[in-house]
Amino acid sequence: MTRTLLLAALACAFATPAFADENLFGYVRGAETLPDGAAELYFKATERNDKGAGTYRATDYEVEYEYGVSDRFNISGALQAMSLDTSGLVIDGYLPGDREFGLRASGFEVSGKYNILRPAADGFGLALRGGLEHSWIDKHSGQDKDTTSADFDVLMQKYFLDAQLVWVGNVGLEATYAKRKAIADLPADFDWPTNAEMEVELKAGTGVSYRFAPNWYASLEALYETEFETDVGQERWSVFAGPSLHYGGQRWWATLTWLPQLRGGGEQYAGQADTNLHLIEKTRQEARLKLGFNF
Amino acid sequence: MRRDFHVHWLLLPATALVAAPAAATTYFTVEQAQQQLLPGQALAPVAVTLTPAQAEAIEKASGVRVRDKTLKVWRAANGGWFYLDQVLGKHEFITYALALDAQGAVTGVEILDYRETYGGAVRNPKWRAQFTGKKYGAPLKLDADIVNLSGATLSSAHITDGVRRLLATHALVVAPTH
Repeated sequence: MTRTLLLAALACAFATPAFADENLFGYVRGAETLPDGAAELYFKATERNDKGAGTYRATDYEVEYEYGVSDRFNISGALQAMSLDTSGLVIDGYLPGDREFGLRASGFEVSGKYNILRPAADGFGLALRGGLEHSWIDKHSGQDKDTTSADFDVLMQKYFLDAQLVWVGNVGLEATYAKRKAIADLPADFDWPTNAEMEVELKAGTGVSYRFAPNWYASLEALYETEFETDVGQERWSVFAGPSLHYGGQRWWATLTWLPQLRGGGEQYAGQADTNLHLIEKTRQEARLKLGFNF
Repeated sequence: MRRDFHVHWLLLPATALVAAPAAATTYFTVEQAQQQLLPGQALAPVAVTLTPAQAEAIEKASGVRVRDKTLKVWRAANGGWFYLDQVLGKHEFITYALALDAQGAVTGVEILDYRETYGGAVRNPKWRAQFTGKKYGAPLKLDADIVNLSGATLSSAHITDGVRRLLATHALVVAPTH
């Protein structure tokens, strides 16, 4: 709560009489890039909540700085942290038991985005984005785990109604190499493999955003994610979809997104009540708040 | 489905609602823009409301949607014209003025209100000077006869579209003899 109040105070401080930019959606990305020499600072908080049993609440935090190297090429660097509160839930191979901790640094990411077509000038927006991420905390269990991922996305964007209606579409791939640290006090017969693992995730997302009043956008976005692993083939898949509300000012913007999981499949944990969702690596719902400040 | 998210997630958007000022950056009032573009001229307002058929004809000729059928037009004593118009920026309307000579050629474009994060370069006199002399029938296309402003693509595209629409409006409805 204190952190949220601090962010609210920052929002007030930056609420200059002026207006707007980017990130109309919480998860899917647009194809536009920052102008040459422009910079943007992002604060992002994502709450992942509810695995269908016990208590599970993880919050991911990210501070990202993005810079326009040219009008078409942006680079960015991000620092990540997370907090976790899980109890009353044990998932063999994934969640060894109760765990609670506050804000902890968890990883970093560097990325680049190159714009090929501009949605306003070329009629259709197209951009490529690549990123490299490293983390040392398992985002599911909160245990020690070294993970290195490389991801690549194709970002599409189209304006309708003089840009009052915006469509975006994303397809992407993420390759991950991970290795868990051993845990001393595991439950009896609990499987916690510490050998290196390789995973490939495929992602597709789409969203539409409508400017219903000056500076205000209402959006709907949907995400499909599936992950493949050498040992089990398709380990999981899930479809998330939900609304976003975006406010854009001249110096800052904010986007709030609620994204429940609609369907999911693949691996399930023993005793999982809702078999229509994937609840091992995903949760029933996520909420994301993004703040951006332009320089 | 359990939905036990903390209420504090709603605090920030509420803050934005309260803190967000509606103030704008106004560079010219209408009167100032009129004097800037048609100095020393007495201007008389001309009441024009487009019929659906006229709006459709303008959209067909310009390729640009007509959002407002009530025009803001003034006629100058020397036969020139002054149009006040708005196009969409990324988040708010951009208010601009277009001046034409008695033959319907552009003599000037001026930006009255601009509120976007980037793209203030549309106020650059050199960029606006590209419109001077353009008449109905000119391409008025970004990256064709109008240079795109890097970092202000949406604003420069919409202002270019707006001028093309107004020139079609002038030629087809307001002063069809030109």
